[in-house]
Amino acid sequence: MTEQAEPTGRPATPQMPPAGSRPRLLSSELAPAALVFAATAALILGLKLMIPGFGSLQQLTAIMVTAIFLVVASFGQGLVILTGGIDLSIGTVMGIGGMIVANLTRGSDAALLYALPIALLCCAGVGVINGLGVALARLPPFIMTLSSATAFFGVALGMTAGSSQQSVAPALQRFVAGHWAGVPLPILFIVVFALAAALFQNRSAAGRQIYAMGSNPRAAAIVGLPVAALTVTVYGLSGLCSGVSGILLAGYSSSATLDMGAALLMPTIAAVVIGGARVTGGAGLYVGTLAGALFLSALSTAITALSFSQGLRSVIQGAVIIVALLLQSRRADRTAS
Amino acid sequence: MSERAGPLRALSANSALPALVLLVLMFAIYASRDPSALTSFGLGNLVNNALVLAVAAAGLTLVVLSGELDLSGSGVVAIANVVVATTSTGPIGSLGALAAALLVGALVGAVNGCLVTVFGLQSLAVTIGSLIVCQGVALMILGAPGGEVADAIASGVTGDVHGFPIAAIILIGLAAAWLALKNTRQGIALYAVGDDATAARLSGLDVRRTRFFAFTAAGVLYALAGYLFSAEIASGDPRVSDAFLLNMFASVAIGGTSLMGGRGGVIGALIGAGILTVMQKMLFALGVAEFYTNIFNGVIMVAAIFFGQIGALLLGLNRPRAA
Amino acid sequence: MANARHLRAASAVAAMVGMLVAAAPAGAQERQKVFLDMSYSGNSWQASAANGIKALAATPPYDKQVEFKTVISGTDVQHQISDLQSMIASGAAAIILYPLSPTALNRVIKQACAKKVLVFAYDSTVTEPCAYNVSNITARYGANTAQWMVNQMGGKGEVVINHGVAGTTVTTVYDKQALGVFKRYPGIKIVGDFYGNWNDATSQEEVAKILAAHPNIDGIWNVDGSYGALQAVMNGRPNRLVTIAGQSNNGYRLMIADPALQAKGLKGVSSSAGPAVGPYAFKLMMEVLTGKKKLEKHNIEYPLPWVEPKDVKICSGDTFSGGCNTFPAGKVAPLFLDTALNGDLIPELSINAVQTGEPTPGASIKPLPPVTYADDLPGVNCSQCTAPADWLEPNRVEPMPVPK
Repeated sequence: MTEQAEPTGRPATPQMPPAGSRPRLLSSELAPAALVFAATAALILGLKLMIPGFGSLQQLTAIMVTAIFLVVASFGQGLVILTGGIDLSIGTVMGIGGMIVANLTRGSDAALLYALPIALLCCAGVGVINGLGVALARLPPFIMTLSSATAFFGVALGMTAGSSQQSVAPALQRFVAGHWAGVPLPILFIVVFALAAALFQNRSAAGRQIYAMGSNPRAAAIVGLPVAALTVTVYGLSGLCSGVSGILLAGYSSSATLDMGAALLMPTIAAVVIGGARVTGGAGLYVGTLAGALFLSALSTAITALSFSQGLRSVIQGAVIIVALLLQSRRADRTAS
Repeated sequence: MSERAGPLRALSANSALPALVLLVLMFAIYASRDPSALTSFGLGNLVNNALVLAVAAAGLTLVVLSGELDLSGSGVVAIANVVVATTSTGPIGSLGALAAALLVGALVGAVNGCLVTVFGLQSLAVTIGSLIVCQGVALMILGAPGGEVADAIASGVTGDVHGFPIAAIILIGLAAAWLALKNTRQGIALYAVGDDATAARLSGLDVRRTRFFAFTAAGVLYALAGYLFSAEIASGDPRVSDAFLLNMFASVAIGGTSLMGGRGGVIGALIGAGILTVMQKMLFALGVAEFYTNIFNGVIMVAAIFFGQIGALLLGLNRPRAA
Repeated sequence: MANARHLRAASAVAAMVGMLVAAAPAGAQERQKVFLDMSYSGNSWQASAANGIKALAATPPYDKQVEFKTVISGTDVQHQISDLQSMIASGAAAIILYPLSPTALNRVIKQACAKKVLVFAYDSTVTEPCAYNVSNITARYGANTAQWMVNQMGGKGEVVINHGVAGTTVTTVYDKQALGVFKRYPGIKIVGDFYGNWNDATSQEEVAKILAAHPNIDGIWNVDGSYGALQAVMNGRPNRLVTIAGQSNNGYRLMIADPALQAKGLKGVSSSAGPAVGPYAFKLMMEVLTGKKKLEKHNIEYPLPWVEPKDVKICSGDTFSGGCNTFPAGKVAPLFLDTALNGDLIPELSINAVQTGEPTPGASIKPLPPVTYADDLPGVNCSQCTAPADWLEPNRVEPMPVPK
């Protein structure tokens, strides 16, 4: 990354939080997430008034359950964007993860013991390859992740002809459809995952190093941060998250096809940015990404409920995304140092 | 030494040199296995297949040079295409349809530019939003593939003049226009702003106006690509192709333009589009089939960029702040 | 000098003999180049269709007659144009393809026809007159299934529409037919619609959300994604199921035939475009290529699969023999498309063939029965033509009278 000035004129000085102190940006950086949560709530309330039956507890639960795929995958995308990169292989890796689990379990629960680790390993592996390409060969992340998505799609297509002919292990299906104390298991999973993700991104040493690297890679290298290792880790984690998301999707729909993750790629980017992250890297909390993912899920449900033609649905969806970004930027302008 | 906004030494053409070498190499492999490659029929088909991607990638280059990203290209192509397919046989005729399409493209580009420069939104995010809006608008104008493209447009673009494909003439014209633009103040400003916006502002350039110009001009070029698309497929199609959008970026990058901004040029993007088109013919001629083409596509793209970077390094092009 | 003249004469004779030998009747040693051009890939429908075609190409006698190659062009229409041009340049005798657009490929198809290349499109159609279309888009899926649902629901109830991918002719045609039928009955209320994009996971998610907002829906109309839609109802409202129309996934057929589920109100019909249309089109193309069949018209209708709960018949083997049309639960994955096989038209295919592309051992190509020609649908399979006056009406389900 070059030392480009942001469009708002904020000079790009290294923003490494001093070791041991809490990031002072915390309160101002929580604001985007809070704003998006508020927008989500407003959206649901607004439609609840317009359409009877919308926004019931069951529907909110259903929205949250189906949001899990986006929530998990966006975490990985968020980490990559934190470093100033982008991951376009998320859709393909989701498909690969789901296919591996379906093909290896063949309807048997016991096989999950080795099917899950193998699937996750392969998906993280694709991510690691992406990271190596970006860190060592200095390839632009856009091209590296796009090329690996294309190539690995071909590999998977050759090995499977595009869809899994085997059933997904019933235990996985039961997990995604199950409840505990009345709460659907996927929602509990989201909560646990979100906590772990937030802890990693915003509280761990590795997380802080990733922020530092993203906001000024040159300074980070000078200070001695392991930039290459961090890059590979970040892309590997993104691959891993895509794999988890694909496995969950396979459990949800009891089947796997190679293209099942394709529709989720753009939403992961949108979720991260709506949540307040900067595409140039170095800023954005995980809770913002989470809020963005939930907002997009609620938005798509709301638009569906309005029963417009597909054309109008897309126009509204795109416009709302732009409005959300406008609201974010106003706030960013005011809090820029 | 750093040269500021001084006379350009066709740096962008130089950064396209590795891409040119690759293009010639691939074409040679393709022609050696498929003799029809060198016939005027084969060449005409090739240029026609590369035309739309090349023009769209040229538009994207302008935005990328100025340091921003633009994902709305394929959406504008779709809108322009359906506008032409619904109006070209009507009262406004072929030229009117062209004007309408270019106007729509300029409008979308201006909106993008405004959102990025005036409101300070991140271009990657905002153009995702405008892409989705464009998809919707295209569907609202034409609900399913069809429409009617005037014969004059279809045969006008895909035909030839004394054996020379009109599509090639269009590309040469575009390249010439670019070379003219590059040396104007506006063109130089594009590079300066993309390379280091702070330095550019300090040296008196209006960063916002330059980026706004880039987005609007890109919108016009996307719309032109959409018009040419109407000619190539002689109909309208409201669906937006994600594959096309990603190929636009691949063309730009393979052609030597840095996705960070400040280095590269439209010539490179045209060559990059040529590479992607010829690569497909080359792989077919080599007998690569089925899913192997996906694998080769991915690997060759990475290799092309990688060797392009090495080439640029060897040619001494990676000097910081070279204008 | 005399030697040179002798030599010239000898070589001329040799050349003539050579030409005569080469002009021996075809089928002796010559293989015709046949290409399969796929556009979409990575889902079960496309995979089954392509595998079926590959398996047939490797089944005797075709395995000796064709040099068969598959190309995946991807979803960019100009890539498909470019690949088709490459195939023509390489000397293709016939091309079978899944066209990305009904109109965008017309120019290149004309180029192919000018070089005497046979062009067959399966499932998705083109409007270029010299191409052959093999599809059941003219079989009025939308009207027939909607009418079936109305009859089952007694002409009243809440219905949800699951649209396919927007911007395609299939979605436009089927939606128009279905909505036309539903609107005729004032007791039928369409309370929601979504774009499932022919995808089961998406359909499942959307139905789960709609069910939460409209807990009393009585019916769901799908073109594809019906398995996912039904799953959502089984998860969300297991004791009161729905009337449903949709695809022919094996799991779906087993569910609609299950008496326990029928007792909870499940009434389903299994129809929709099946992957077997691809292998059928291939066989038809080969028969035309080898001169065994002559087609007077260019639009051929593939029979619309239609399996109601009472028609479900479980198979004992690996093929659809003896009139069976569904496999037992463990034999294939629930999403396996039963309509990848067709016992009457393509008896040469088995489960393994459509899953892997390998030919069925011991099978050999059987001749096809006479074809049924398709209606004209402007913008779909022809351009200068008119549709039959009743193209929106059901033609295999008798409409019930509108209740007072």
